[in-house]
Amino acid sequence: MAAVHGDVHGHGHEDHHPTGIMRWVTTTNHKDIGTMYLWFSLAMFFTGGFLALGIRAELFQPGIQILEPEMFNSFTTLHGLIMVFGAIMPAFVGFANWQVPMMIGAPDMAFARMNLWSFWLLPIAASLLVSSFFVPGGAAAGGWTFYPPLSTQGGLGVDMMIFAVHILGASSIMGAINIITTILNMRAPGMRLMDMPLFVWTWLITAYLLVLVMPVLAGTVTMLLTDRHFGTSFFNAAGGGDPVLFQHIFWFFGHPEVYIMILPAFGIVSEIIPTFSRKPLFGYSSMVYATASIAILSCVVWAHHMFTAGMPTVGQLFFMYATMLIAVPTGVKVFNWTATMWRGAMTFETPMLFAIGFIFLFVIGGFSGVICAIVPIDIQVQDTYYVIAHFHYVLVSGALFALFAGAYYWLPKWTGHMYDETLGKWHFWLSMIFFNLTFFVQHFLGLAGMPRRIPDYALQFADFNMVSSIGAFGFGMSQLLFVYIVIKCIRSKEAAPEKPWDGATTLEWTHLPTPAPYHSFEKPPVFKPVSH
Amino acid sequence: MSSDQDKSNASVFQVAKAVLAAFIGIRKKSDLESDAANIKPSQVIIGGLIGGVLFVVTILLVVKIIVN
Repeated sequence: MAAVHGDVHGHGHEDHHPTGIMRWVTTTNHKDIGTMYLWFSLAMFFTGGFLALGIRAELFQPGIQILEPEMFNSFTTLHGLIMVFGAIMPAFVGFANWQVPMMIGAPDMAFARMNLWSFWLLPIAASLLVSSFFVPGGAAAGGWTFYPPLSTQGGLGVDMMIFAVHILGASSIMGAINIITTILNMRAPGMRLMDMPLFVWTWLITAYLLVLVMPVLAGTVTMLLTDRHFGTSFFNAAGGGDPVLFQHIFWFFGHPEVYIMILPAFGIVSEIIPTFSRKPLFGYSSMVYATASIAILSCVVWAHHMFTAGMPTVGQLFFMYATMLIAVPTGVKVFNWTATMWRGAMTFETPMLFAIGFIFLFVIGGFSGVICAIVPIDIQVQDTYYVIAHFHYVLVSGALFALFAGAYYWLPKWTGHMYDETLGKWHFWLSMIFFNLTFFVQHFLGLAGMPRRIPDYALQFADFNMVSSIGAFGFGMSQLLFVYIVIKCIRSKEAAPEKPWDGATTLEWTHLPTPAPYHSFEKPPVFKPVSH
Repeated sequence: MSSDQDKSNASVFQVAKAVLAAFIGIRKKSDLESDAANIKPSQVIIGGLIGGVLFVVTILLVVKIIVN
């Protein structure tokens, strides 16, 4: 996005910076780093998407056509790891880098050099993951959850994955510390915590979750590494260890991780819905409280991923009840978004379409989550396509749709140009249709008993799999349209209006020119609290 | 931002009410403003931790009653 900052002269800001490749290697500017995060995550999204299409191509019809079973398992494993750690998480950090300083009136992130370091760790980890396909033994194939004993048995590819997870964890922790420090110490004078935009609030809470659980993941993979190479037996029953221990500590990280990927999405949607409804967010404080509540509850529900691993009834009931209670604060949020739209002067530009699509489909994912939380049902659907359908409704039509919504919403501010509204709407409707075509039928497959992570299946599953594969290819192709829209927007000659969204009230729209200058808020703005 | 020194000590009951509201995810604006004026962050954090433990213990008790 080198061209996007070209016309910031005339705003009275210094914008001297290195040009060419060195600008990106040495930059400590939060906007540059945010841009790199976003491009990186887009590249990883297409890498993970390529693996997804490999999976769906193999599953297009019964029998083994394209991928050998071992390679198929590597595809599912790396698809999950790359999408979670390479696409969704860095994309949200990219949004945080761009938006948090501008939304709180800060000149940059608190630790600018550490910010660059946390970005450059990502391509290193990603190359480890991708190149593991080409080492002897191939890439890790034990699923993105890398349960032992599969993960204690694999070859070099598993070690590369463990090292990549270490690096990604370090990057995430540094990013989180940076975001917490920026938000707590660098807000514009007069901006209290309860005056912050919801996106900033959700990122503050997410960053605390990251600091809490990423070290747990680092510890888990380190134990795995020492089991593999240094003679320990944490997870090896033959040496007195317990594979179920791995599942507990992995999911103590893994469940809050789900919320790490969805809370910033809630934040983006909470910015967009009021803007396009031209009303303040309904129940601002309850939104903040509900976010905090979801974060706390997310730490006491992890074993609902392990109902079939063997657990006393007391444990099953505890985790079932705790999980179902998360529906309460989540319901508060959905109610508030709906109430914000109620009697608003609504318009349906692309960001709003994706935000409404998010609410509609995320609720479906939320409901199937409550269904999975019920122990007797979970024992039936565990490791079936029902679970795949559930978490893709949460992570694709949840997290990813919110990312698209946010990208369209802030593209004019970032680039200084308007995106093509007609093409944006095409992107939304194609994504909406193909997403549901891909994943809704997977509910039926799961309920009929089709297991996940299997390259071949019984004949009765053939039709729905074919539908799902057609949907997946359609969804993948639709995302190329997004790339075209973004490039067209960056290269556009037409300047965007200073404030294209008349309902926007946050500082980046009210106090900064469009496009945002290379250095913003060198002098803190005068902040006047608006009534929420 | 008002500093901690500006805040008078809130009663245990007021902190408990704020934490309970946070757990459910609903708070009236007037109550929120009085919370922001009176409760110190440290009180909210300690209250939240106690609330978290109470939440877990309550669910465990309910489970025990059902199982027995």
